[in-house]
Amino acid sequence: MNEQRRQVLQMLAEAKITADEAERLIDAIDQDRPEPPVGTVSRPKSRPKYLRVVMMDSSAGEDPSRINIRIPLQFLRAGVRLASLVPPQALTKLNEKLSESAVPIDLTELKPQQLEELIDQLEDVTVDVDDSGSKVQVFCE
Amino acid sequence: MIPQLVTVRYRRPGGRRLRLYVPVLPVLLVLSPLLLLVVLAGFVACLLFEVSPAAALRSIGKVLRALPGTQIELADGQMAIQVNVR
Repeated sequence: MNEQRRQVLQMLAEAKITADEAERLIDAIDQDRPEPPVGTVSRPKSRPKYLRVVMMDSSAGEDPSRINIRIPLQFLRAGVRLASLVPPQALTKLNEKLSESAVPIDLTELKPQQLEELIDQLEDVTVDVDDSGSKVQVFCE
Repeated sequence: MIPQLVTVRYRRPGGRRLRLYVPVLPVLLVLSPLLLLVVLAGFVACLLFEVSPAAALRSIGKVLRALPGTQIELADGQMAIQVNVR
């Protein structure tokens, strides 16, 4: 957000100007803004293709343990579709076992579309855990 | 495209290294009689559990096609294993 736009919003917040005046001012600011030069049109950001999980543990000794996994997001999507073929009776048994283990998750309520949406949103997820001697990173690239 | 080459690198605690390059298509051709049995068993299992065999085949195909690019690397002390699917 540029400085002029911020000032207009500030004035609106302080009730120095009305909403209509703020809108006109913002329109005027937008018109004053120079056009981007030809050839520098911003391209849409390329979508990440892989999910990467990196774990490092150097607390045990001089040779650190390391896990580095790179999985295509497409593979996760295909796995979700494959999991949707699990027969309902197997899901019922799984639910029973999960309940016995005090994990009250109803797998029959999980729909493939929801899982695919979850994978789509995974592209923006970054997990970074840094502890003394160990580090965990989960991100998409 | 299904995976073409699987590379396995293994480092033993003594420092000895092992590299395995597995060309997927030739291996599948060699194992095709077994594969046929597996497909038949899968077909019967699909019928038993009331799952569409076509949908199951499609899903397995999608999983196989999505595999290239997978990389798994584990290292613990002097031992390490790395699997690459291309």
